Amino acid sequence: MSHANSNPIDHPEVQLASPGAYLVAYAAALGAMFLELWLVVAHVLSPISLTTAITVIALLVITVQMYLLFKLDLSKTQIWFTVSFIMTAPLIFMSIGLTIWMFITLMQRTMLPGM
Amino acid sequence: MSSHDNAPVDPNTVELWDYEDHGHDFIGTRTLGFWLYMMSDAMIFAALFAAHGVYVRNFAGSFTSQEVVHPMNAIWPTVFILSSVMTYGLGMVALKKGNKSGVVNALILSFLLGVGFLLMEWREFSELAAMGAIPQMSGFLSDFWTIVIAHAAHVLFGLIWMAVMIVQVAVNGFDQNNVYRLLNLKIFWHFQAVIWVSIFTFVYLFGAI
Amino acid sequence: MLVDLQGPWNPIFGRLGLLLEVHYNNPIIFFAFMMVVIGGTAALSWVTFTGRWGWLWREWLTTVDHKKLGIMYILVGLVMMLRGFVDALMMRTQQAMAVGPDSPGVLGAAHGYLPPYHFDQVFTAHGMIMILLAATPILVGFMNLIMPIQIGARDMAYPYLNALGLWLTVAAASLVMIALFVGDFSHAGWVGLTPLTELPYSPGVGVDYYLWSIQIGSIGTTIGAVNLIATIIKMRAPGMTWGRLPIFTWTTLASNIIALTSFPVLGVALALLTLDRYIGTHFFTADLGGNLMMYTNLFWIWGHPEVYFVVIPAFGFLSEIIPTFSEKPLFGYVTMVLASMAIAGVSWTVWLHHFFTMGASPGVNSYFSIATMLVGIPTGVKVFNWAFTMWRGKLRFPTPMLWAIGSLFLLITGGMTGMMLAVPAINYLVHNSVFVIAHFHNMFLLIVYAAFGATVYWWPKVFGFKLDEYWGKVFFWLFTAGTLFVFVPMYTLGFMGMTRRLDYIPHTSWEPLLLLEVIGTGFYLLSILAFVIQLGVSIYNREKNRVVASDAWGTSRSVEWMTHTPPPFYNFAVTPVIHARDEWAWRREHGLTNLMPEKFLDIHMPKNTAVPLIISFFTLVCGFALVWRIWWLAAATFAAIIIAMIIRSFDKDTDYIIPAAEVERMEKEIVARAEGRIPAGEPAPVGGGAGGAYASKRTPTQRRDND
Repeated sequence: MSHANSNPIDHPEVQLASPGAYLVAYAAALGAMFLELWLVVAHVLSPISLTTAITVIALLVITVQMYLLFKLDLSKTQIWFTVSFIMTAPLIFMSIGLTIWMFITLMQRTMLPGM
Repeated sequence: MSSHDNAPVDPNTVELWDYEDHGHDFIGTRTLGFWLYMMSDAMIFAALFAAHGVYVRNFAGSFTSQEVVHPMNAIWPTVFILSSVMTYGLGMVALKKGNKSGVVNALILSFLLGVGFLLMEWREFSELAAMGAIPQMSGFLSDFWTIVIAHAAHVLFGLIWMAVMIVQVAVNGFDQNNVYRLLNLKIFWHFQAVIWVSIFTFVYLFGAI
Repeated sequence: MLVDLQGPWNPIFGRLGLLLEVHYNNPIIFFAFMMVVIGGTAALSWVTFTGRWGWLWREWLTTVDHKKLGIMYILVGLVMMLRGFVDALMMRTQQAMAVGPDSPGVLGAAHGYLPPYHFDQVFTAHGMIMILLAATPILVGFMNLIMPIQIGARDMAYPYLNALGLWLTVAAASLVMIALFVGDFSHAGWVGLTPLTELPYSPGVGVDYYLWSIQIGSIGTTIGAVNLIATIIKMRAPGMTWGRLPIFTWTTLASNIIALTSFPVLGVALALLTLDRYIGTHFFTADLGGNLMMYTNLFWIWGHPEVYFVVIPAFGFLSEIIPTFSEKPLFGYVTMVLASMAIAGVSWTVWLHHFFTMGASPGVNSYFSIATMLVGIPTGVKVFNWAFTMWRGKLRFPTPMLWAIGSLFLLITGGMTGMMLAVPAINYLVHNSVFVIAHFHNMFLLIVYAAFGATVYWWPKVFGFKLDEYWGKVFFWLFTAGTLFVFVPMYTLGFMGMTRRLDYIPHTSWEPLLLLEVIGTGFYLLSILAFVIQLGVSIYNREKNRVVASDAWGTSRSVEWMTHTPPPFYNFAVTPVIHARDEWAWRREHGLTNLMPEKFLDIHMPKNTAVPLIISFFTLVCGFALVWRIWWLAAATFAAIIIAMIIRSFDKDTDYIIPAAEVERMEKEIVARAEGRIPAGEPAPVGGGAGGAYASKRTPTQRRDND
């Protein structure tokens, strides 16, 4: 039923490991986190652009990690990983976004500003 | 394709049973299942982040987020967890080469960095508790403690798993089961880095603004 | 760190001292307890006196066979459904008795026979049990039972996890049953209304039972969802392309995508409430920065997808039953698949319609209203597809078809009232009225109809004999009478302004309709009797109704009808190659119905294991300990769970190989039995029950080299 005689190390998912990708993901994530931290403590941007900037940076880092750490692409070994992630990601954004939207309007309509 | 397909079929040549028995890809099935679980786990954090969006200003007259959240301190656990993830990645490179001691060493290093991460979190929350910023004080503090500790609990679980895997690899080498478990733990461990990037950005940095 | 508790607590027994306050002299609790004791004793003595403990252990308790696990899922679901039905009976009779200020009261109630606190527990238990411990296990059971055979697989992707999922569900059900006698159950509605569920307002253990039993059950369902999705993606037979998957398999996929992604959100909602109750955080409190609507929000982020999680497999049942008895392929296969996936997708965008009245802005309400109405489009597509499947078909009306058509009618009425509720302006008027109750019972009954249809439809495949048609029809019509008598008056009462969860009815003018509902529950009671008779008569006459052909109905279409009846434990001697969308219909049309392959191959099968049972037992004890705040026991059992998992990870002896010659012998014996060359009365070494006693009787002959 399974490939009883093949060496498990030859499995394509084991063979995906790549030191370059891991190091790049590491450097990118760490660099981006320090960049975000600097943006926040240095007060070089207005609050709105600051939140936008660090949100964009974080999403970019996550995208890079998804690609380099998890190797999400359309190849035969990886396609189902990619598909399941692409189907889950909207649910994550929707449950967070719609929740925050409905509670912001609820606060505006039922409570004093600033509560 | 369709069942209306009435093209003539020669009963003597049509292949009705799979005598090759292609089987299924054992390791690939295990890792896919674990990835699906990871999607489920991601939804746990989605719900916690949704809650964070709602509780983020509910200080109830107690500590504000600026008083509680210190991104300058939180950057060090960030360095630890990302390094731990990177060393685990190097362990996977060693696995690719079939290098048993390489895998064990990388896992031990990754484990120690993970322990370092947890110790720093422990220190952070001990300080919060000492200054009275405990989760019982306000909706915001309940949420802050819960979301960070939920991640820490994942890290703790990953560390237990890593310890078991170090023993497993040392005892049984790279058999089919250990290889898929190493791949699954890689998914789990790398996912914690993704979650931490979100927590550092949306909880710590946003909280400090 | 921990909250201060009302009432007794000590380190050894936790809060068990509270038991002294339970009114065991209440005849209702006493009666229920006696029923469970008698039922349990009867079952255990049957097992003991027929010497079946070994059989039970080997064949059922430690099995990893997806068919047996599926049967046990359905059994658990049916037992819990009976429990939920008794709760329903109590609610209907209480409401009919407690009308108007002059109505008498007995057993300590001012009106009727259930005091408010008890009544509240009854409706909470009813809702929670019916959805999470009856509907969900029954549907997951069918997915387990049928889906792997439909895709030509030998088993699920992770047989061990499959067993774990079942036993965790059993642990959850057991915890709810324990709550019936040891302490009390939540009184805050099955949705767990905050802040009523907070410790100051619910100081007992009822809410804790509710929290931990759902938490355990939802872990089981999530594990099952991972397993089912991975099985569909990875375990299909050669040629079983996505365009050829049977619709029931597609709906299994769609609904488990929902389960996989939505149950964690429920877990979070319950966990946050648990933190509130155990360590005094302020998530859902009314003060100190809590936000009680956040619980409702998280609950329904799960709750609405969950509704589709249970309805989509029901659509799958209909899509299998209707073509078989119309003798036509399903109309609009591609639209059916797209509609299933669309319903799964849209289900994630509509949850606020459960609390339109929260007071979010008109923009938010409009968005959720429109999203809700969008669900009508794919559902409408499905209804038309089934209608067109029947159109100009050679229709037959055995019981599965009756259930399917009944289900269609319920879908249409339930769908229409759903559209009404989707309009915020109407919703504000009928919110929390029994109109809403009638609507969602209407939708759940659609699932029940489809599930009973599926039971009759797949029964011969699983057990090798058909169910009795006469009693089946009696069951159907009595059940339908019950549905009409209960829910038509309930819709009406909703429009008249009756709100839900009333233990006392102030308006005497509602009494006639409430009495009609009681008559309806009487029909339901009779229908359950008819169901029991149907099962009894069918089992008694099983030799007469025996099915030996692989295809019990003669006009079935999908792959599960392509193996023996009942299927051997390995499902297919040799994995089939799939050529068409309705493979069995295709083979029938081309005269290729011979099931005997030309040669046999070794089969690799998973071994039975008791670990899932052990882990679930520890989980049950852990849940009980957490409910009663017996910390040492909770910590010990939690550690035991982790240790059991680690020990299991070192076990390499988890599967075995059946040699080809042995497969050939078993296959020939099955054929000989089918052709009557072996008398039917002989005990069956293969086949039999859910598919074979063989696996556990033999010692493993060979292990994989690579383990």
